[in-house]
Amino acid sequence: MAARRSSKGRDGAQPPEQASRDRHEFVAEAEEILERMTGDLSLLDEQRREGGEVDPDLVNRVFRSAHSLKGLAGMFGLDAISQLAHHLEDILDGLRLGRIPLESPAVDLLEAGGGLLGGLLDHIEHGSDTTEEDVLSVQAFIERIDAAMRAPAEPARDALEEIALDASFLRALTEYEEHRLRENLRRGRHLVLVHASFGIDHFEEGLAELTSVLRESGEVVSTLPTPGASPESEIRFSLLVGTEVEADRLRGQVEGHAAEVEWVGRRGEPVPDTAPAAETSSDAGPPIGASAQARPLEDHTAREAPAAHTDHTAREAPAAHTDHTATEVPAAHADSSSIESLRSISDTVRVDIRKLDELMNLVGELVIQRNAVGTLANRLSANLQTARVGAELGKIHKALDRKLKELQAGVLDVRMVPLRQVFEKLARVVRRLRRDLGKDVALEFSGADTELDKLIVEQLIDPLVHIVRNAFDHAIESPEERVVAGKPSRGTLRIGASQRGNHVVIEVSDDGRGMRVDAIRARAVARGLVGADETLTRKEVMNLVFEAGLSTAESVSETSGRGVGMDVVRANLAELGGMVDLVSEAGRGTTVTITLPITLAIIQALIVGVGDERFALPLNAVLETMRVDPEQIGRSEGREILDLRGEPLALRRLGEEFEIPCASRGEAQFVVVLGMGEQRLGLLVDRLEGQQDTVIKPIKGPYQQLRGITGATEYGDHGAILVVDVSAVIGDALRRREAA
Amino acid sequence: MSGAHPGHGAPDVGGWAGLARSAAAALESPGGGIEECLVRELLVFGLDDSTYAIPVERVREIVRMRAPTRVPRAPDRLLGVIALRGEVVEVIDLRRSLGFAGASPGPKSRIIVLHGDVDRVTGLLVDSVEAVLRISEESFWPAVSGDSGSVVEMCRSEDRFVSVLDVDRLLGVADD
Repeated sequence: MAARRSSKGRDGAQPPEQASRDRHEFVAEAEEILERMTGDLSLLDEQRREGGEVDPDLVNRVFRSAHSLKGLAGMFGLDAISQLAHHLEDILDGLRLGRIPLESPAVDLLEAGGGLLGGLLDHIEHGSDTTEEDVLSVQAFIERIDAAMRAPAEPARDALEEIALDASFLRALTEYEEHRLRENLRRGRHLVLVHASFGIDHFEEGLAELTSVLRESGEVVSTLPTPGASPESEIRFSLLVGTEVEADRLRGQVEGHAAEVEWVGRRGEPVPDTAPAAETSSDAGPPIGASAQARPLEDHTAREAPAAHTDHTAREAPAAHTDHTATEVPAAHADSSSIESLRSISDTVRVDIRKLDELMNLVGELVIQRNAVGTLANRLSANLQTARVGAELGKIHKALDRKLKELQAGVLDVRMVPLRQVFEKLARVVRRLRRDLGKDVALEFSGADTELDKLIVEQLIDPLVHIVRNAFDHAIESPEERVVAGKPSRGTLRIGASQRGNHVVIEVSDDGRGMRVDAIRARAVARGLVGADETLTRKEVMNLVFEAGLSTAESVSETSGRGVGMDVVRANLAELGGMVDLVSEAGRGTTVTITLPITLAIIQALIVGVGDERFALPLNAVLETMRVDPEQIGRSEGREILDLRGEPLALRRLGEEFEIPCASRGEAQFVVVLGMGEQRLGLLVDRLEGQQDTVIKPIKGPYQQLRGITGATEYGDHGAILVVDVSAVIGDALRRREAA
Repeated sequence: MSGAHPGHGAPDVGGWAGLARSAAAALESPGGGIEECLVRELLVFGLDDSTYAIPVERVREIVRMRAPTRVPRAPDRLLGVIALRGEVVEVIDLRRSLGFAGASPGPKSRIIVLHGDVDRVTGLLVDSVEAVLRISEESFWPAVSGDSGSVVEMCRSEDRFVSVLDVDRLLGVADD
């Protein structure tokens, strides 16, 4: 994906040849659409199983995904994918128009179709073109769809005959709207016509507002412009609404929108309120008969409707346009609609993350300039003669600061994406594993809306897939074994995410066989990682799994249920400034906890001084700071410790860790309490110099991988200062304790 | 600030790099029977009483000495890092790299910043930068001293010998 490519070889990589770039672009975009679609499909499946009622917006969304995929594949000349998507689209179109009942066997095929599409994409991604086999399997599948579609649909009984709506109005409804109308009637909702006039220049806003108000109490089945009657400068609309709310209450809700509410009764049924009679033609002015030219107008308003639904996901997946309003654009039928779908794609912009990086860099440089202005303002203010200028410059600095913060937040926000993408990818992996390994495992997600920097999300996928795969391969037992162990035959894998301050915590837990502490320990002793007589806490033993020598040992994974390649997982996450922790109980299961910073782009840093040197500590890893006198520092096993409100805190001197000349010893110092995941460490420094927004820059040169440093940043007049890799420093300190 | 295109400016060497590239292209073109016309462009600098050079096309820019930020746990020859228009670049003490004793930088000291991928953009601290020379191919000889492993050839310019550094070897040595 674009983001991953950008992280390496920025300078050296030759541009790939056009064809493969096309292919790459296609796969990237198609994958996004497909991920969204499979996610929606499993939702659909769930809703279907639960109660037989399916959210029409959901069906529309899947329909549009299939439609976009078809168009995209068509553009790239990938016929097999295009055809398959086309047939899936047919099923979905039938479903949304009520031509195919929810119980139809065709609907059962949707998920399998998504899987097949995924397989085809995989082949393309890995360089091979669609093979003959692929084409055959697509054809076979299409035949299955056709057969399923031919299954007799139940004859629709026409409820529309019964409602007291003008026939010309009914004729103006699209097939989709008709279906929604029937659906509303079937659910026993009332029908209400809402009439409103808007000034011609701003009817879009007015209509959008009214529509969103009405949505709160029901479904807007159709919006039709009503020609004539109103003055030239106004345009009048009639909105057909299906609702469970009484007409009077609805009237209260649309108050202030200059709208009239008209009850639409059933023929021969008394009108239950005092509103104008049910015969629409008399009160609503001229007959409501949308002429042919009124249609495009409605399309327009639908597309321009409020952006309240365009969330981050929409930004991320341009083609899978989630905007509810947009999905109601009528009649996206097979051939006439490709232009329309292109238009809807262009509502969102795909941005190469490198461009965002460049923007972020610029913002970062502005931040540095701002800091310089601040320093100058302070210097001027301190001098009596220049105090006035200083104060004014100080004001400018403040204003600049505010705007810069907004700019920064804006650019950061664009980078943030919900973890849903990752979860959907994991769901796909799990489906595949379920198939391949024949293990029955339920997958539960929570916190899919938690947001993280796109760059982190990209790099998070591999470690997470690894952890999930481990759980599948080694941790979760076969159904038979599980029954013997007294567990439900179906295993459960829970993946949850939540934000905690500037961190996002992701937990992957399974109810598999867990790890045996003694087995890990024995293996670690055998490998010389720990001494035979060493005392280690349970937790410390668990964390040995992340050591290279141990985690690559196959036999451990068999007896322990987890741990192949966990050293790589830890290294990958450390690169992102993250940490990984593991808790396991034999026979009960394992939980892997990943803690990550929300973004790497701009961080708040605490600047500390030791001797003549300065370092930046990412503030999100700093729990607190305090001043300590030498006599407060105790000792345990030759190591310094601090009594932190009754709990022992391991101390390290940054001056010693980094061999800094003339670091002070003895006098009062400051302790910076660092925390990563569950681990804590106190870092002794000479001075605290303040906080600063910093852009962490990679260090360029042959030595860039030095341990303990994640990068550098510019600090006022002091040039470059180094950013401490907190997880490495904590890790080193704790490992040395283990090794000691 | 010139930050719009950080990393692409090479103000101190101007169009030399372009010239050098065309020269290099001429070198690579097959069947070029005009050997006597082939020239190489070298940036010549002074280090510990001797004269060294590197191919001009490897040079991105030359900057005045500025105090580098020391990097903990780094080998001796890594002096530290400097901030360079939004980038942070390692500075290697070429004296130590070539096995001489380190010396404190003087007024003529310069940092030669090399082109390359992320791990090849590097600053080299040298005692002084002298000139860019065009030297014809026939004036090159294989190196005769060869202690450091970074000098593979020498060339004659006017009345003196210049040791030509192989940058990749030099940085490779640094990798150890």
